[in-house]
Amino acid sequence: MPEVKTVFREVLPKKGQLSIEDVPTMILCKPKLLPLKSVTLEKLEKMQMEAQEAVRQQELATKEQLQ
Amino acid sequence: MEVTIDPLFLAWSYFRRRKLQQCADICTKILQDNPYDQDCSLPISEAAWSLKTRALTEMVYIDEVEVDQEGIAEMMLDESSIAQVTPWNKPGWRTQPVTQSGRPITGFVRPSTQSGRPGTMEQAIKTPRTASTARPVTSASGRFIRLGTASMLTNPDGPFINLSRLNLAKYSQKPNLSRTLFEYIFHHENDVKNALDLAAQATEHAQFKDWWWKVQLGKCYYRLGLYREAEKQFRSALNHQEIVDTYLYLAKVYQRLDQPITALNLFKQGLDHFPGEVTLLTGIARIHEEMNNISSATEYYRDVLKQDNTHVEAIACIGSNHFYTDQPEIALRFYRRLLQMGVYNCQLYNNLGLCCFYAQQYDMTLSSFERALALSTSDEEQADVWYNIGHVAVGIADLTLAYQCFKLALAFNNDHAEAYNNLAVLELRKGRVEQSKAFLQTAASLASHMYEPHFNLSILSEKIGDLQSSYTAAQKAEDAFPEHVDTQQLLKQLRVHFAAI
Repeated sequence: MPEVKTVFREVLPKKGQLSIEDVPTMILCKPKLLPLKSVTLEKLEKMQMEAQEAVRQQELATKEQLQ
Repeated sequence: MEVTIDPLFLAWSYFRRRKLQQCADICTKILQDNPYDQDCSLPISEAAWSLKTRALTEMVYIDEVEVDQEGIAEMMLDESSIAQVTPWNKPGWRTQPVTQSGRPITGFVRPSTQSGRPGTMEQAIKTPRTASTARPVTSASGRFIRLGTASMLTNPDGPFINLSRLNLAKYSQKPNLSRTLFEYIFHHENDVKNALDLAAQATEHAQFKDWWWKVQLGKCYYRLGLYREAEKQFRSALNHQEIVDTYLYLAKVYQRLDQPITALNLFKQGLDHFPGEVTLLTGIARIHEEMNNISSATEYYRDVLKQDNTHVEAIACIGSNHFYTDQPEIALRFYRRLLQMGVYNCQLYNNLGLCCFYAQQYDMTLSSFERALALSTSDEEQADVWYNIGHVAVGIADLTLAYQCFKLALAFNNDHAEAYNNLAVLELRKGRVEQSKAFLQTAASLASHMYEPHFNLSILSEKIGDLQSSYTAAQKAEDAFPEHVDTQQLLKQLRVHFAAI
């Protein structure tokens, strides 16, 4: 089996001007760390959810009674 | 022989173990056997009545210091100096995402920091539900609506205490019952007017010498929006007795009166009496943070950590500050600390995932995000996590995955402006100019406070030769972020073009 020899050599231009044109590129929005919630906020949200749930149950119950 | 526990003792025991519902149930039974009468009743029914009010209050108790909900009108008509702090007075912070009002997102969210302040009335009405605002718009239009949730539910047996039939004057004479009753009216029934009546009569009965009633009066005045009255009560209470809570309430009044410097001085006075008190230090740090003075805020949060090294707010804020000042590996240590302390939620794992990725700890990145997804409780959270995974995908140059992630973020939250912007960038790489432009326009209309979509739109328009649109978009980008160098250059270039024509 013929051995494939590939030799890569770095190319460093010794002559001429090496320059990069600064072209404005589109930018991505940054990654977003999520803020942690305070205990009070968590409790508020929990209470809100429970209250909503309770109201829904009550409404369901009254609907069933009407039927 | 069977020994039975005295029911009142059992109820008390339940109360101490915070089994509040059981406690309230037993009290109800005792009260059925020995009806409670305002005029003459047995001590046992009085005790049971008082315990039941306490149990019901504890179920819905919210730390009053933390609660601060503003109505739309207050947010819009607010010209206070904290509201006026322009977000760009601190150079270089724009690497940080911002809230709707153009304020950098901090590491911690409390009821009063939930939404920031919307810039226009239209925004105020239409922006209620983003990642940092869990508050539905209906509750923003009135004050303290959410806090009365317990009172909005109708009890099948009627309310426990019928406030309109209560003889407040009689209760105010009984110091052993009046305090629990006050807290019940204030927290559970959310009826500030009656609470104020009771407090006024009780403080009179105590010959204006009881600091506790003065603080309660102040709380009522604060809720009614009578800040100067509240200030008077709190000051007078402080003369009787130095209490940390009173300092906190008073500082809240000053913040609402637009005197952050007075509030800062007050906190420092408080620290003279209570050296190293964590809540006072946190208060100072919060004010600095709201004034966009992040570096001194961090200093104070560090002081907080010296006193209490498990303070979640301080750790989270310092952590996010490190992340956005290009030190993700240090931020990672702070978030890991939170994990060790037992904080276990979507937000923390998301932040850990991001920190791990940018601190080059790739082994942990994806598993953290997986957990974040598993723990997320709402679509908005899910959307934000997918958005961040998209960034990881961009980082490892897997653009197909990135594309899918941003799409998923949009599937969960159709108003995710950042995801629209990033999708537009990816679309342009694929050469789909029209699609890209459409996404950018959507992003810009959803979040006019961000400069990225405007800037990108400007570049895109310039490339396809639409110089006029490019110029208007660049101007909008400049409005959002005046110090952005690339925008400045682009504007200069365009002006040269126009001059040549």
